[in-house]
Amino acid sequence: MAAKFDYAQAEEIRRIFDRYRVRYLFLGKSGAILLGFPDTTQDADLFIEKTPANGRAVVAALRELGFALSDTQAAEIERGKDFVQLKSGPFDLDLVFAPDGIETFEEAWRRHVEVEGFPVCHLDDIIASKAAANRIRDRESLPRLRAFRDYWLRQQR
Amino acid sequence: MTVPRPRAGGPGPGDSFTLSTPNGIGYPDRVRAEETSSLTVDDACVREWEADFEAAARRPLPMRLRYAFIRTYKPVLDDAPYRSFDTMAEYRAWCETNLPSWLGYGREV
Repeated sequence: MAAKFDYAQAEEIRRIFDRYRVRYLFLGKSGAILLGFPDTTQDADLFIEKTPANGRAVVAALRELGFALSDTQAAEIERGKDFVQLKSGPFDLDLVFAPDGIETFEEAWRRHVEVEGFPVCHLDDIIASKAAANRIRDRESLPRLRAFRDYWLRQQR
Repeated sequence: MTVPRPRAGGPGPGDSFTLSTPNGIGYPDRVRAEETSSLTVDDACVREWEADFEAAARRPLPMRLRYAFIRTYKPVLDDAPYRSFDTMAEYRAWCETNLPSWLGYGREV
């Protein structure tokens, strides 16, 4: 089992993804936590732009981060499968190329928020994604997440 | 959905309100009606949540992440180093079929 995700690892993602010019956004509860939402989660979810160049960049960046990827796995990531779950590295990472509830990466990018250099989906996109996924765990977390959205927006004004 | 009051006493008259997001705060044109929800949330519960939000806002980001990320074993889900799915629908179906329901990755209890 990989170690739990921590700030130093988040910094490593930011540093190495920036170097390879990966286009990505933190999504899901890990994104909400970066925005200030006090809750717990186990892994980081990254929304990755689905283009061949970005796929190649993310594979190179993941390998530098320490993820063991076979050539077949690397090819799948480069191709941009909708969802890739990685537990072969220093921490667990979910790569999402087509999240439920968000139309395109470009739209999410236009709305995204930077938190200390971390690119994060807007809370409305995080909520839309969870509402569309509609899993039990999402339904349980949405009322508090929506309350946080209202609080967070008031702080932005 | 009604979020229960976390402390004894129960809500009094006018002590709860509807937290609705029909206009999709932030992006009013984008949020569709079916994506919105109207949920009755006890205002004492919201006040407690907001106290949590305020406390979190006072912590620096590294500390917030230290508290937020935890590690526990999740059966089946943690048993393979790599999984990939062509579509999100395929991933959701795999979760429904293969994961213990108590993990909460399914849509039905």
